[in-house]
Amino acid sequence: MSVLAPIICDNGTGFSKIGFAGNSDPSFVFPTAIATRGPAAQASRGPSVPSKPGHLASKRGVEDLDFFIGDEALANAKTPGYTVHYPIRHGMIDNWDYMERYWEQVIFKYLRAEPEDHYFLLTEPPLNPPENREQTAEIFFESFNIKGLYIAVQAVLALAASWSSKNVTDRTLTGTVIDSGDGVTHVIPCAEGYVIGSAIKHIPIAGRDITQFVLNLMRERGEMANVPPEDQLRVAGKVKENYSYVCQDIVREFRKYDAEPYKYFERYEGEHSVTGRKYSLDVGYERFLAPEIFFNPEIYSSDFLTPLPEIVDGVIQQSPIDVRRGLYKNIVLSGGSTMFQHFGQRLKRDLKHLVDQRLEASARASGSAQKSSGVDVEVISHKRQRYAVWFGGSLLADLPGFYTACHTKAQYDEIGPSICRRYQIFGSAT
Amino acid sequence: MILLEPHNVIIQTTLSEKLVRPSALEVQFVDYDDVRFRLSTPERKTVVLLSMNIRCWGDLVKHGALDILKREYGSLVKDTAEPEFDVSLEIDLDQVPSDPEARESFVKSVSLLKRNALAAPFERAFQTQKELEASGSGQGELMQIHYRDEEAIYVQASADRVTVIFSTIFKEETDRILGKVFLQEFVDARRLPTIQNAPQVLYSSRDPPLEIRHVPGLRDTDDIGYVTFVLFPRHFANKPLAEGAISHIQLFRDYLHYHIKCSKAYMHSRMRHRVSEFQKVLNRAKTEVATGERKTVSGRTLVSR
Amino acid sequence: MSNTLRPYLAAVRSTLTAALTLENFSSQVVERHNKPEVEVRGSKEVLLNPLTISRNENERVLIEPSVNSIRLSIKIKQSDEIERIICHKFARFMMQRAESFIVLRRKPVPGYDISFLITNVHTETMLKHKMVDFIIHFMEEVDKEISEMKLSVNARARVVAESYLTAFNS
Repeated sequence: MSVLAPIICDNGTGFSKIGFAGNSDPSFVFPTAIATRGPAAQASRGPSVPSKPGHLASKRGVEDLDFFIGDEALANAKTPGYTVHYPIRHGMIDNWDYMERYWEQVIFKYLRAEPEDHYFLLTEPPLNPPENREQTAEIFFESFNIKGLYIAVQAVLALAASWSSKNVTDRTLTGTVIDSGDGVTHVIPCAEGYVIGSAIKHIPIAGRDITQFVLNLMRERGEMANVPPEDQLRVAGKVKENYSYVCQDIVREFRKYDAEPYKYFERYEGEHSVTGRKYSLDVGYERFLAPEIFFNPEIYSSDFLTPLPEIVDGVIQQSPIDVRRGLYKNIVLSGGSTMFQHFGQRLKRDLKHLVDQRLEASARASGSAQKSSGVDVEVISHKRQRYAVWFGGSLLADLPGFYTACHTKAQYDEIGPSICRRYQIFGSAT
Repeated sequence: MILLEPHNVIIQTTLSEKLVRPSALEVQFVDYDDVRFRLSTPERKTVVLLSMNIRCWGDLVKHGALDILKREYGSLVKDTAEPEFDVSLEIDLDQVPSDPEARESFVKSVSLLKRNALAAPFERAFQTQKELEASGSGQGELMQIHYRDEEAIYVQASADRVTVIFSTIFKEETDRILGKVFLQEFVDARRLPTIQNAPQVLYSSRDPPLEIRHVPGLRDTDDIGYVTFVLFPRHFANKPLAEGAISHIQLFRDYLHYHIKCSKAYMHSRMRHRVSEFQKVLNRAKTEVATGERKTVSGRTLVSR
Repeated sequence: MSNTLRPYLAAVRSTLTAALTLENFSSQVVERHNKPEVEVRGSKEVLLNPLTISRNENERVLIEPSVNSIRLSIKIKQSDEIERIICHKFARFMMQRAESFIVLRRKPVPGYDISFLITNVHTETMLKHKMVDFIIHFMEEVDKEISEMKLSVNARARVVAESYLTAFNS
C-alpha cells in the first residue's frame, strides 16, 4: 500500500490554507476563526433548552465539541451564544485551546483523514519561539497520534514555491522573501534554508491598507457617492483585486490617463448586497495609485515613509556579506498583496537603481581604482504566488527526502517534544 | 460536531464549484480508512473524472459493490477505472441537472461514493436476513472486509439479526485505555431507557467473538479490540432506516478514534488551565521587586522588553 | 478519606518548612562551583537524611534535604489504568513547562511521579511559606484534578456512546 499523501497545513493570521501534498492548490482556504459557545451564553441558556436527542452537545461533558471553524464560524458569529475567536495573532498561535480544537475539525470534518495514517507539514512564522514548536508537536503527536511531523518556516516554503517558475534554474533555498498578506508585509532573508533573523524587516503596509487607500481615493473623487456605505469597503477591495497594476512612472501614467481617459478609465458594475439595486462607478487613477503605496508610502501614510525597494536593500545589506549576492539574485514574492501586475518588474528596476548607485559611489570613492563587476538583481514572480507558502509545502512534501526529514512518532516518543526544535533542511539542489 | 458526516466535503465543494465555473482540475485527496480519491479533467474542462482507490475493493466487489454503484450512479461508472484506482466515475458537467435542488442532491450523491461502495456487504446482509427469516433458519455467509491494514469488518446475517464485528487496533497505550473506557460505555449505554431499541453492543479485547473465532490469521495481542453490533430487523425495516444504519455503522471506527482524540484534546485544555492556575499560586511566592518607573535625564521612560 | 489527608499534608508541610533552611554553599569538590548538593551528591557530609512521608502504599512524599538544596518527590495516587495515564500525562505536561515553574524538576526521581528541586537561590528570592503553600496546594489539587478528569472522560464516553446509538433509531 502506498503511503497516503502528507497533509499541508498553513495556518495564517487571517486564513488557513489546507490540503494534500502533490496538489497545486490547497483544498480548503478559510478564515482561521473558531466560533465557540462562550461562557456568557451558558448563563443565559438556562434550563429552557430541552434535552432532546441530537441536542446532546448541551449536556455536560462535550461542550467543547460544540463549535464551528472557518467560514461556518463567521456565518455563526451572529447566532446567539457563539463568539468568534481568532486563535492566531501576528502569525503566532495565541490560544492553544482554540487552535487544538480548530485542528481537530480541520482533520476530521474537512480533510476526513485519519491522522494516524498521515504525515503532516505545518508552517510557522520566522522567529517563532521553539517553545511554540514544542507545543505544536505535543498536540499533533499526543492528541492526534500522527505518523510524522515537519514544521517549516513560511519564508523557506515561499522560496521553494518559486522553483515552479520558469526563470528559476537552480533550486536554491537562498533568497529574499517578500511576504505581503492582509495585515503586514515582511521582508525575510534566507540563507541555505535558514532565516537570517537579525535582518528581518516588517512594513506596516499590506492588503488592508491598500484597500483603505483605494477607498479614500474614490471617496475623494466622489465615485463612492452612489455606493451604499456598507458595501464601500468591499467595492474598494474588488477594484484593488481586479483593476490595479503597478506603473513604471506615475507622472507619465497620469498624463496618459488625462490624455485619453476613455481608454484607461474602467467601469465597475456593482449591486447592492441587500436591495439588489444596481450601481456603477468609474475606476481611474486608483488603478495604478493603489500599489504605488509600496513604492511611495508618503501618499498614504505619514509615519512610515521608506519605500519597499529601500527596505529590501537595507535588509540585504544587513545580512552577512557572503550571502548578499544570492539574496539580490533571488527575490521571491509571496502572498496576495504581491499579485499586482508588473509589481516584480518595478521592484527590480528600483532596486537595481539603488544598487548601481551604491556601486558607482564606491567606485568613485576608491578613485576608480576598483570596479565592481555588478550585482545581479532578480525578482521572481510566479503563478502560485497567492498561496506560495502552501504550494511550497506541497512541493517539498512530495519529494522523497521529506519522509527522512520528518520526525516520526517513534522518535517523538523516544526523545520528547524537544525533538522538534530542530528540523533538517532538505530539497535544495545545492 | 459529535457525529461524523458520511459524505466527502472536498468532492462536494469542488464539484459544486466546478459546476458553476468549469476549469481544468487535477487534485488528489483521501478519505477515512485508506481511501484515495482523484478528481481530474483529462479531456475537456467539462468532463470531470472522479476515481477512487479503496483498500478492500476486492472484498467489496465480491459482495456486490459494483451493482450498488451501478444502481446509484448508472452510466456514470466507467467500465475500466483509471490506472492505480479501483473505480472511476465520469461526470459530464453539462449533463448535470440545472435545477438547484436536483443539482445539490446530485453532488451530494457523488460525494457519498465511498459510503456507497462500502455499503455493499451490509445491503447484502440485510437482504440475506430477510431470506433467512422467510425460510426460518440458517446462517448467511461471513463476509470479511479488510478495510485497513490490520483491521477488518465482519458481517454475517442470521435468521433474526445481522451481526457486524469490527476489529480495531489501538496504536498507543493511552488510546487503548481510553478506547476501553469508551467501548465499555457503548456496552452500558443500552441500559438507558431512551436507547433501549438501539443495536446491542458487545465488546471484548483480545479474544475474538465466537462468530469469527474460526477465521484464520486473527491477531492475538493486547492492542486489539473486537466490537460486535447486533442489528435487529427493526434497525433496517425500511429503506431510509437501513440507509441511515449503513452510513452510520461504517463510520464506527473513525467515530471512536475521533472521540478518543477529542478527549485527549479536552484533557490538554484542562491541563493548560490547571497549569496556569498553579503558576499563579507559585507566583504569589515571588517577592515583589519594586520596579518603579525609571526615567532618563530627558524624561523618557525605560521599558524592558 | 480526608481524615487521613489532613495529617498527611500537615506532616509534609511541617517537614518541608523545617527542611527549607538552606544557605549558600560553594562546592567543596570543584573550585568556583556552586551546585545543588542534593543533585551532585559530591560530598557526603552536606547531605542530610532523606525522609519519606507515606499516606498509604500508593501515596507518598520523599524529601531529600541537603545544605543548599532540597528535593521533594511526590507519588500521586493512581488506582486504575485510566488514572495512571492521566497522571502520567499531567506530570509530563507540567514538566514540559518546567521553565516557568522555577522549582519544578524536569524529570521525576525514579519511583515517583513528579519532583521539585528547591535551592537556596529560590528561598532567597521567594517567600518560603508561600512556596510551601504552593507545594501543598499542588498536592491537594492534583488528586482532585485527576479524579475530575477521569469522571469527565467517562461522562464524555457516555455521551459519545449514547449519541452514536440513538442515531440508529432516527
